[in-house]
Amino acid sequence: MVLTARALKEEPMADPLPTPTEIVLCDVSVSYPVGDSGHKTVLSHLNLEIQAGEFVAVLGETGCGKSTLLRLVLGQEFPTHGTIIVDGKLVTRIDARCGYVPQKYSLFPDRTMIQNVMYGPENARSSWFGRFLPSFRKFKRQLRSEAENQLLRMGLRAADMNKYPHQLSGGMQQRVAIAQALIMRPPVLLMDEAFSALDPSTRASLQQQLRDIWQETSPTVLFVTHNTSEALLLGNRLIVLGPHREGTSESNLLLDMQLPQSQDPISERKQSREFQQLREYVKRHAYGSNPYSDELQGVREIYIREEWRKGDSL
Amino acid sequence: MATATIGIRHFADIQARPRRLWTQSLSWVLFLLGIMLYTQFSVTRHKENPEDRVIPSGAQLLQGVKASVLEPAEEDDALDPGATVYQRVTHSMIWKDTASSSRRFFISLALLIPLILLGLHAAVFPYAEAIFLRFFLFFDKIVALSLLPILFIAFGIDDWAKIMLMVIGVGPTLMLDTYNMAKSVPREQVVKAFTLKSTNADVAYRVVLKQILPQVINSVRLNLKPLALFLFAGEMIVSSDGLAYRIAIMRRHMGMDIIIPYVLWIAVLLFGMDALLRFVNRRLNPWY
Repeated sequence: MVLTARALKEEPMADPLPTPTEIVLCDVSVSYPVGDSGHKTVLSHLNLEIQAGEFVAVLGETGCGKSTLLRLVLGQEFPTHGTIIVDGKLVTRIDARCGYVPQKYSLFPDRTMIQNVMYGPENARSSWFGRFLPSFRKFKRQLRSEAENQLLRMGLRAADMNKYPHQLSGGMQQRVAIAQALIMRPPVLLMDEAFSALDPSTRASLQQQLRDIWQETSPTVLFVTHNTSEALLLGNRLIVLGPHREGTSESNLLLDMQLPQSQDPISERKQSREFQQLREYVKRHAYGSNPYSDELQGVREIYIREEWRKGDSL
Repeated sequence: MATATIGIRHFADIQARPRRLWTQSLSWVLFLLGIMLYTQFSVTRHKENPEDRVIPSGAQLLQGVKASVLEPAEEDDALDPGATVYQRVTHSMIWKDTASSSRRFFISLALLIPLILLGLHAAVFPYAEAIFLRFFLFFDKIVALSLLPILFIAFGIDDWAKIMLMVIGVGPTLMLDTYNMAKSVPREQVVKAFTLKSTNADVAYRVVLKQILPQVINSVRLNLKPLALFLFAGEMIVSSDGLAYRIAIMRRHMGMDIIIPYVLWIAVLLFGMDALLRFVNRRLNPWY
């Protein structure tokens, strides 16, 4: 069932879905003016439905519109054509429906680690003047212990709680940023190349932690990355975007597939033959010299989620 | 073996690591050199003319300081001979002039705060940017001193003309500086704040302003001197008291024994205010 913006506006709760659809993109296109008269299309006629609790990894070459897709869902940018619905409402501005973890500048530099995590719930609890009331102090004490638990869960030490972001390593900063987003319990968590600036060991550890958190609490995650292995290890669904072919109205969605799931740790899964095969497959079809070639055209169309849902092997 | 001596090559060495004692000592060298040169010139001139007033001797300077700190201004009534030191100081020429100039200075400093907030708002709220930015970019280019006659006509020759001169002279620059600082806050921070249930006021004041506050304080520190410059320009043209007024009066009498202590006192005041703002900055923004 395709959920359109109009349908939702008219009958928001009339026909609840068996699995709530968290993010819907209906025929979304984005183009920017370039030069005096031309324009560059970044996303073209994109249709997507993301169910609640899915972990969608978005993969693609530089400039293919991965981050644009994320900014659209966030409400930071608007499509030239089409509609986007998040948590049952049309996206018209940035709000707390989506948690956000960017690649850098993810923490407020003037707040300590614990203050960064407490910032969101403080806003949610009280208005500007309400923060001066005695009841707010009591709330803050309770919130502090919750924030500490969230940070400990992300593998951070109690001794570091009062450190400022500039005193933390890149990995620690991203851990805090994830805790900061998760404590708000947003319906959707958006991560824009959140681990790309980290060293391999920190990255692996954070990947495992994010995966564990997702398995425990099942937030809907849209994870943008340009690392094929990371996308395949973390997501339960993979979306690959390719460069738009100017002069056509073809969608630049190259692949949309369910990914095989396993309870094994990420480090073990990485070594498995199935994973290696899958990675080769995605690389071949997504990063080939011409992903739109006639030879791959058939594969691209077939290789939509349905095939994976049927459990076909590679 | 490590040696404590330094050679000329050390001064041209970028990788040099001078000891703390050396850096402390070297920082006083130019002060000492200045005093020595002054003394040398003063002694030479006084040998030629014992009544010389252009470069007053140490004794003349001491007399000038004493007159400034313990005696009332010429235009004021003389003090009772039995007055205490406290009474003498609080009725002295320098006390009166410092109080007058400080009053004008601090009122204009307070009036700069709304302009700083305007710069913040112009950077954060697109409609405020549309209304104010172009106007202030133009207004910033108007030479404040050229407005002085208009200010005297509009505000009279009392304090408000001088205060407005300072505000108009420094305000637009400070406003545009704040605007640029607020604009340079990464967009990710603003987006993130909205995803954490921030209101517009939260983003403007608790996210952007808090992040740029140390830079804003530093900008105010850098603008202390231009602010004083506009104050002194106003006081030298039309005034009946104030530090610059006194310097202008003393210039007519060749009163270098008063002018030099006044110039040094002004420098000390500005240095003290700068140090105070630096201290406040460190206390308010330990993360910076």
